[in-house]
Amino acid sequence: MDTFFVVIGMGLCILVLFVLYRVVYGPGVFNRVAALSAIGNKTLIILLIMGFVYHRVEMFIDISMVYALLNFIGTIAASKYLEMEGSIS
Amino acid sequence: MIQISDDIIIKTLARVLVPFILLYALYVIMHGHHSPGGGFQGGVILGASLVLLVITHGLKDTQKRISEKSVAIFSSLGVLIYAGIGVLCLILLGNFLDYSKLAILLNVPLAQARSLGILGVEIGVGLAVMAVMFSIFCNIATGGKQAEEDND
Amino acid sequence: MSITTVLAVLFMVGGLFFFTTATIGLLRFPDFFTRLHATGKGDTLAVLLFLVGFCFYEGFTLTGLKIVFIAVFMFLAQPTATHALSRAGLRCGVKPWMKKEDKK
Repeated sequence: MDTFFVVIGMGLCILVLFVLYRVVYGPGVFNRVAALSAIGNKTLIILLIMGFVYHRVEMFIDISMVYALLNFIGTIAASKYLEMEGSIS
Repeated sequence: MIQISDDIIIKTLARVLVPFILLYALYVIMHGHHSPGGGFQGGVILGASLVLLVITHGLKDTQKRISEKSVAIFSSLGVLIYAGIGVLCLILLGNFLDYSKLAILLNVPLAQARSLGILGVEIGVGLAVMAVMFSIFCNIATGGKQAEEDND
Repeated sequence: MSITTVLAVLFMVGGLFFFTTATIGLLRFPDFFTRLHATGKGDTLAVLLFLVGFCFYEGFTLTGLKIVFIAVFMFLAQPTATHALSRAGLRCGVKPWMKKEDKK
C-alpha cells in the first residue's frame, strides 16, 4: 500500500509541474491566479498522502485544513484587488 | 477604504464560514501540546478570519463591530497575560516564567502546573497576534489615513 | 485486501484521472473563462473523490471525521472562489473567445 501512495504522489507532483507552465506563460494576471488556485488544490492532497506514507495522519490533517483555508482567502483577496482596477479605493 | 462587494454569494458564504473558522482557530491554540499548532498559528488564523470579513463586507461595516479601541485593548491584554504569568512566577520565589512554582498556587502536581502555565501563555500570544494582524491590515489598506478619517 | 481498501484505491484512481483531465484542460483551452471551467469543476470533484477515498481507508475514527470536515469545507469554498475570480475577470474586461467565422 505504501508504494501505491508514493506512485500517486509522484503523479501529482508531475501535474504540478505542468500547471507551472500556465503560471509562467499565462497572458495576463487572471490566468496566473487561476493556476495558483489549482496548485493549491494539488498541494493539499500531496500533504495528506505524505501523512499516510509516514503513518502519522493525525499530524498532517490539521496542517492541510489550514492550508485549504488560506488558499481560499488568498484567492478571494486577489480577485477583489483586481476587480477594483489596481487600487482598493 | 475597501468598498463593500455587491455580490450576495460571497457575502453570504463569508458570513456563514467565519464562526467556524474562529472555532477552528481556538482548537489550534488549545491543542498545541499534541498536534501542530500553538499560539502563533492560532493567532494568524484568527486574524485571517477577520481579514475575510473586511474583504467581503467593507471596512466601515466591520469597524462597527470591531472598533479601533477594542483592537488596542486586545493586543495589550495579550501581552499582559504573558508578562503577568511570568511576573507571578517571580513573586512566588522562582525565575521568570518558571511554571513549577505555580503548583503552590493551584494545588496540582508539578507536571500539570507546567502544562497549564504553557497553555495560559499561548492564549496570551494568540490574542496579541490576532489584534496586531488585523490592525496592520487596516492601516495598510487605507494607506495610513485611518486616523484622519476618524478625526473628521 | 479487504473491501474497504479496494474501494479506497478505486476512488483515488478516479481522483487522479480527474486531476489529469483538469490539468490538460488548463493547458489547452483557448480562453480564460474556459480554463476556469476546467480548473473550477475538475479540481473540486477530484479533491472530493480523493478525500472520500482517504475516509474509506481510515475507517470510522476521529481522523476520518476530520477528513469529512475538510471535504465539506472544500465543497463550499472552492466554487465561491471560482465565482469571485470570474466576476473579477468580467468586470475588468477580459474578452471571451469567439469562434472565427469562415471567410467565404
